[in-house]
Amino acid sequence: MDKEKIDSNIKSTRRDFLKVTGGTIAAAGIAANGFLLRGSEAWAEEKPETWNEEVDVLIVGSGFAGLAAAAEAAGRGSKTLILDKMPTYGGNSIINGGEYASWDDEFSLRKKLNLGDDTSKLHMTDTIKGGDFYNIPALVQVMVDGAPSALNWMIDEGGLKIRELVNRAGGHSAYRTRTCTDGIGRGYTEALRKIAESKGTEIRLGTKVTRIWRQGLEGPVLGLAVENRKGRQNIRIRKALVLASGGFGYDVKMRQDFNPIVTPDINCTNHKGATGEMIRYAQAIGADTLHLAFVQLYPFAEPETGILDTPAVYPFRGPGFGMVYVDRNGKRYVSELERRDVCARAATATGSKPTFSVFSEKMIPLMGTKEEVKKGIAKGRFMTAMTIADLAKEMDVPGSHLKDTISRHNQYLADKKDPEFNKPVTAMMVPMTEGPFYAVAQWPAVHHTMGGLRINESAQVIDIWGKPIPHLYAAGEITGGVHGSNRLGSNATPDCIVFGRIAGTNAAKEKA
Amino acid sequence: MNRIPVVLCAAMLLIPACTGNPLIRKVPPGPEAEVAACMDCHSNVDELFSKEHPAVSGDDIRTCFSCHQPMDPKKAEPNTFSATLHRAHLNKESGVDCLSCHSWIPGRHFGISGTGVDLGPLPENNMPLLKKTFLSWAGSRYLDARHAKQNVTCSGCHGDSLPAPGDTIKNERCLMCHGSYDALAEKTVPEIFPDRNPHQSHLGVIDCTVCHVAHGESRAYCLECHQKFVMKTPG
Ligand SMILES: Cc1cc2nc3c(=O)[nH]c(=O)nc-3n(C[C@H](O)[C@H](O)[C@H](O)COP(=O)(O)OP(=O)(O)OC[C@H]3O[C@@H](n4cnc5c(N)ncnc54)[C@H](O)[C@@H]3O)c2cc1C
Repeated sequence: MDKEKIDSNIKSTRRDFLKVTGGTIAAAGIAANGFLLRGSEAWAEEKPETWNEEVDVLIVGSGFAGLAAAAEAAGRGSKTLILDKMPTYGGNSIINGGEYASWDDEFSLRKKLNLGDDTSKLHMTDTIKGGDFYNIPALVQVMVDGAPSALNWMIDEGGLKIRELVNRAGGHSAYRTRTCTDGIGRGYTEALRKIAESKGTEIRLGTKVTRIWRQGLEGPVLGLAVENRKGRQNIRIRKALVLASGGFGYDVKMRQDFNPIVTPDINCTNHKGATGEMIRYAQAIGADTLHLAFVQLYPFAEPETGILDTPAVYPFRGPGFGMVYVDRNGKRYVSELERRDVCARAATATGSKPTFSVFSEKMIPLMGTKEEVKKGIAKGRFMTAMTIADLAKEMDVPGSHLKDTISRHNQYLADKKDPEFNKPVTAMMVPMTEGPFYAVAQWPAVHHTMGGLRINESAQVIDIWGKPIPHLYAAGEITGGVHGSNRLGSNATPDCIVFGRIAGTNAAKEKA
Repeated sequence: MNRIPVVLCAAMLLIPACTGNPLIRKVPPGPEAEVAACMDCHSNVDELFSKEHPAVSGDDIRTCFSCHQPMDPKKAEPNTFSATLHRAHLNKESGVDCLSCHSWIPGRHFGISGTGVDLGPLPENNMPLLKKTFLSWAGSRYLDARHAKQNVTCSGCHGDSLPAPGDTIKNERCLMCHGSYDALAEKTVPEIFPDRNPHQSHLGVIDCTVCHVAHGESRAYCLECHQKFVMKTPG
């Protein structure tokens, strides 16, 4: 059978299936009990009683993906409204660590700082390797290709500023991670908000989406049911709906439903609104999902609360410059350039909370700023001492072990070979011979949900039969497939912004 | 009006569900409407004023308005006149029904009897909420009562018309009295951890109403994630 035939076969099978099951359900409903009438068919045929409002492009979520989509849609003249259930904007994006993976930027920083080569292809290869080849290559391609231009767009149009440094983070084989000057995701969200609002986007907070309206199970998406302090409302779309409501890291039940080892006792780095109801509402209108079991732990969160504050970003920034991770026994437990899943598992396997990152003064300007470190010390997050022996006392680890660990690691850097953990040693790694020395305690916490809605390269949401759902787009952490089984650090920011832009651009092109 | 209806009114005020029809005076708005006469309840009007208050010639609310100009709703300022009048009449024990002074055509008009003042359409369903809110203003442990102490009435925050349920106040309105966001940040630098300043957080400028709730419990939003912080939102 040729492809076209298969497609039409599937279509008619599906229609027949719907007819039959629909009919059966209805008949059974009349004969037996009214409850059966509330099956999917009844759900699909429901319509809102009234539409309270109408916009061209309606966006759920005010993080990277939603703001980027709004900027593009509003920039093309669409009346654009962003809804967010939280009382403040930005979701996980505004509290993010400020890291952005891109193989280039308009300042050619990597070249300027002599940090070696990088290409779009290498970024793609690393991303797919890091995701154990579960990634959908076409989506990865879109992300890596769009990463530099999206970064430059925020710099040129949104006033984004980035630091004069490039980090190499776990799983990346090049120095590729840019950091915004603010050192926190707000640097990007403010730039995006500026572009979006200057083009006329309205951001409405405290408004929770409670349902997606679609015409039947084959028709277009019509709009949303929402709830806020004013009550319940229905908002109709003229052009398109964009789902940019983020991941479900804070949805304790959902993450464990899909991945039983992610137990409720594990801390979480996410904001409280990172729950999965929008994925369920999308499923209810036929959207397909993938990879929902892949839940990432951030290996370096604050051990007690799971918060990912600025000091907790340092362990992620440091490996390319010679940072060392040690356990409570003062010994290394993993290659510092390993991926997050490997680092998190290795930390847990030490059996004793917490583990630590150790670094020295010289590394600070290469990966971060002195000011951030000072603030972190004042907060009691960074420990510091002039000698490794004294630092060990602060950390409450055996001094002789830590001294031995650091001097052996220094030797590995000199030898360009790490016989213990096989870390790929580079010339940019700094031996820890001179104080002051620093340490920060760290422990894994639930961080990112790689799975989500199935989309295509145009950010259209695909239904369970493989067809795009008319007038429905999705971007950002709510989608699945870009990162495979394990997202590389600093890849989420470009993922959300690149796909957000595509979703917004295509949404604005839809016929009203 | 004699004493008995006043007691009745007080009872009605405390049972919001019973308000509504019996007490609505179906009067059109405007100067020709029935005027709220102080004498109806107060046998000696002069007794009500402090020694400093100039002599009063009339005996209804229009007399007051000849000196006490209505507030400019664009300005968020205390209104001592309105606050004093409302406070005096909203005491839980001596509760007076709103409609002793106010005119109301449900869903169309709520004003001050005999003055032509129109505060907007007040739907029937919203009257109980209005009363509840005013009682809260007069004596709750929330931010509204703190404003009441400073003689800030509804219009101080809500401007020229009655708010609809669910309305919130925009930051600009709060800052008209409370100074700039930066000035607020200066006032709230914590002693021990100076960077845990709620007015200068990593979220940037957020809505005042995220933490500060006038007619209900305020909260410290920071604590929802940063459980170890020690922080309290007044009011
Ligand atoms: C602490 C932290 C640090 C991170 N650091 C980095 C980093 O440095 N680099 C990197 O690449 N990645 C990082 N990540 C990951 C990255 O920040 C997120 O994947 C990204 O911010 C997700 O963006 P988004 O736009 O998809 O969703 P979000 O930014 O989470 O926005 C989604 C919004 O949708 C709203 N919403 C959800 N459901 C509803 C509903 N039913 N109705 C209305 N609104 C709803 C939410 O309230 C939320 O505001 C970090 C993540 C965290 C948590």
